[in-house]
Amino acid sequence: MHDDPTLFSDGAAPAIDIGVPALELRGIGKRFPGVLALENVDLTLEPGKVHALMGENGAGKSTLIKILAGVYQRDAGTMRIHGRDVAIRSPRDSLRQGIKVVFQEIALINEFSVAENIFLEGHPTDRLGSIDWRKIRTGCAELFERIGFAIDPMARTGSLPVSQQQMVEIARALAHQASIVVMDEPTSSLTPKEVKLLFTIIRRLTALGIAVLYVSHKLDEVFEIADTVTVLRDGRHISTRPIGSHTDDSLIQDMIGRRIVDLFPRQRGAAGSRVALSVRGLSTTHKLSDISFEARAGEVVGFFGLMGAGRTELAKAIVGYDPISAGAITVDGRTLAPHNTAVGVGLGIGLLSEDRKVEGLMGELPMYQNASLASLGRFARHGFVDAGRERQAVQGFVDRFRIKTPSLTQKVKNLSGGNQQKVLIARWLMRGLKVIVVDEPTRGIDVGAKSEIFSLIDELAGAGLAVVMMTSEMPELLGLSDRIVVLAEGRITATMSRQDATQEMILNAAIGAKGRTSHEFRH
Amino acid sequence: MTEILRTGASGRTSFASLTGSGQLVLGVLLVALCLGISAAAPQFYSEANIIAILRQCALVLIVASGMTMLIIAAEVDLSVGASLAFVGCVGMAVLNATDSLALGLVSALAFAGAVGLVNGIVVTLLRVNSLIGTIGTMMMLQGGVYLFTREAVQNHHQLASFTALGAGYWGPLPIPVIFAVAIFALCAVTLRFTTIGRYLYAVGANERAVRLSGIRSARLKLAAFVVTGLCVGVAGLILASLMNAGQPTAGRGFELTVIAAVILGGTSLTGGSGSLFGTLLGVLVLKVIDNGIIILGWNQDLQMVVPGIIIILASYFDLLRSRHHA
Repeated sequence: MHDDPTLFSDGAAPAIDIGVPALELRGIGKRFPGVLALENVDLTLEPGKVHALMGENGAGKSTLIKILAGVYQRDAGTMRIHGRDVAIRSPRDSLRQGIKVVFQEIALINEFSVAENIFLEGHPTDRLGSIDWRKIRTGCAELFERIGFAIDPMARTGSLPVSQQQMVEIARALAHQASIVVMDEPTSSLTPKEVKLLFTIIRRLTALGIAVLYVSHKLDEVFEIADTVTVLRDGRHISTRPIGSHTDDSLIQDMIGRRIVDLFPRQRGAAGSRVALSVRGLSTTHKLSDISFEARAGEVVGFFGLMGAGRTELAKAIVGYDPISAGAITVDGRTLAPHNTAVGVGLGIGLLSEDRKVEGLMGELPMYQNASLASLGRFARHGFVDAGRERQAVQGFVDRFRIKTPSLTQKVKNLSGGNQQKVLIARWLMRGLKVIVVDEPTRGIDVGAKSEIFSLIDELAGAGLAVVMMTSEMPELLGLSDRIVVLAEGRITATMSRQDATQEMILNAAIGAKGRTSHEFRH
Repeated sequence: MTEILRTGASGRTSFASLTGSGQLVLGVLLVALCLGISAAAPQFYSEANIIAILRQCALVLIVASGMTMLIIAAEVDLSVGASLAFVGCVGMAVLNATDSLALGLVSALAFAGAVGLVNGIVVTLLRVNSLIGTIGTMMMLQGGVYLFTREAVQNHHQLASFTALGAGYWGPLPIPVIFAVAIFALCAVTLRFTTIGRYLYAVGANERAVRLSGIRSARLKLAAFVVTGLCVGVAGLILASLMNAGQPTAGRGFELTVIAAVILGGTSLTGGSGSLFGTLLGVLVLKVIDNGIIILGWNQDLQMVVPGIIIILASYFDLLRSRHHA
């Protein structure tokens, strides 16, 4: 493909028709089993402009990017590039159409030199058909000079810092004559200084007439670099507006939606007064520092935090799964020591993991065995399992939770996400817990089943369990919690009762600490 | 809209019938092999030959019973062949030194159990991958047995009860077959009906989920390694009795036969699924092929070649079957 080395020496920008959108998506839809990930989404990218794509976790941003990258195929809608209808069936198609997606996870070969990575898709060859190393070196050096990169083309790629690897990825886009560059959360591992450099590069790209789709959930970055903002929520297109017409509040409003609180009517009564879980001064070596809080029987304590705030780390530390470096956890007055899950479950604390597949389900095993795992001992006499009693108990939960399964012996991997989650909740209820820690309980579950999971959690608290809920979703947090704790960078930055909490307060606490520690957010 | 089952019609296929259909194929293969070999060489179904096949199967089945548990729990033990030889030498040496059958048996079993324990500790405590870890112990045992004895440890006292272990009969059945049936039954019942068996499947299917459920998965795996070790102990004693000596060179490649039988029987190397009944069929198929090659007068080197082909084909058909059902 790239046996023509001239493209690096003439300095030409990709051919662009002014006035015709670089990319036009109309009515894009994508469905996964049990989940409608995208529904009727429109997006138009203009050449030479930066278009930001925003939304909460699960809004559909990554699905859309993956469709552009050819990783997924759209189920509905049309795609035009520079006015021509196109079909993208593979990552190769995507590149050929001039789209370059820079993912969060960098896709370079560490062992290769920078120059080799730039030419990865097609090494220039000489007349004899062998690879022309000189051309690779000079081509890469010229390219870097043109866009102002100070990276040694001969450096081993793996030895570069992440920020420079990202720049190599962007340079690849130019080597491919890409006219559309998509960046997925490009600043997540960059220092503020490196962010500045990235923005300079983005401006150079747009000066060349390249259309940039900038995917992020960081407000200040979007205000700084974007010309236009499109917001997605629950897989739907919410708004597309010039950045100048937005304020922080209006953007947050678009991302979260309004009046979500009423969607999940609370059935349970007020929380009790008995402290079921007490965490004092908990720290871990990598993430958490000095976390203290209590949860009472019948109470839902909601932990909110942005990505990387330490929610999952906290969840795993509380139940004894991950080691702690300091602090004490007591369940019903009894200390969780030694710090392991066998003791934890014995005391009555368990985790409903955010990652069902990896940490919850035994996919190949029948559904009833998944449900009874934690309480198998109860159905056994002298070590022999009473299968009749076991299945009867599971059947009870299938009826009570309305778990949809063709039979108790169905492999659990064949159930929908919502039903799998119900099976895992049943696992803990059969065991009988005092404290349940739920981490992102509705991740990967579609909207209809979500509300069922909500009412189950409501029911758990109503039955007297203390529920500690980790979530990055505002509706979940506000709809279910009695008390809200905000985490940022492994610390608690705010604690408030549900009545006093507003979305703005919560987001400020979640973002604010970040701003203080890394100066990423403007105020 | 909310409740979509990913598999349409095949969603009704139950877990039990899935594993069952693979065993049916294996059963049919076994019958076909028996009929085919019998047609070509009628001495195949003579009483003496059938007894010989069963005796051949016994050693493999004893160790494969433990190995099935281990592989269901997503671990494997490659040291069983090397341990088999060492156990015989240790048992025989102690027997010679003490003139006590009981002490000989106990020391051999204790040695084999300790090997299993070491394997278990390497895998659970040191967290070394069991494939690597047990290759390590295999090498230690292979070298160690020569440090222990350069040549075969002969049976000095010729205790009749020790000879009976391998060569004796109980009614029409050889004693090793009785041992194999007993150990097989014990392991099968454990896997099928007890909490321990269920936890073994669970650990193999998803160890993290098991740990989060408050079950001490490391202890469970440790136990499976020790049980496998003890099975090797029993098999090693029988082998020493059959050879009337402890042979440091015995058991080369034995681990491959055992693992091949388990995999052929439909137990997945990734853990979480499989059954002892399948392992039994796997052992029978491999040993009938072995025997058939001899009876038919074929080149004996085919004893390695044919099972190799069978295992690849069996895994391939298994893949086809699971794809069809998934």
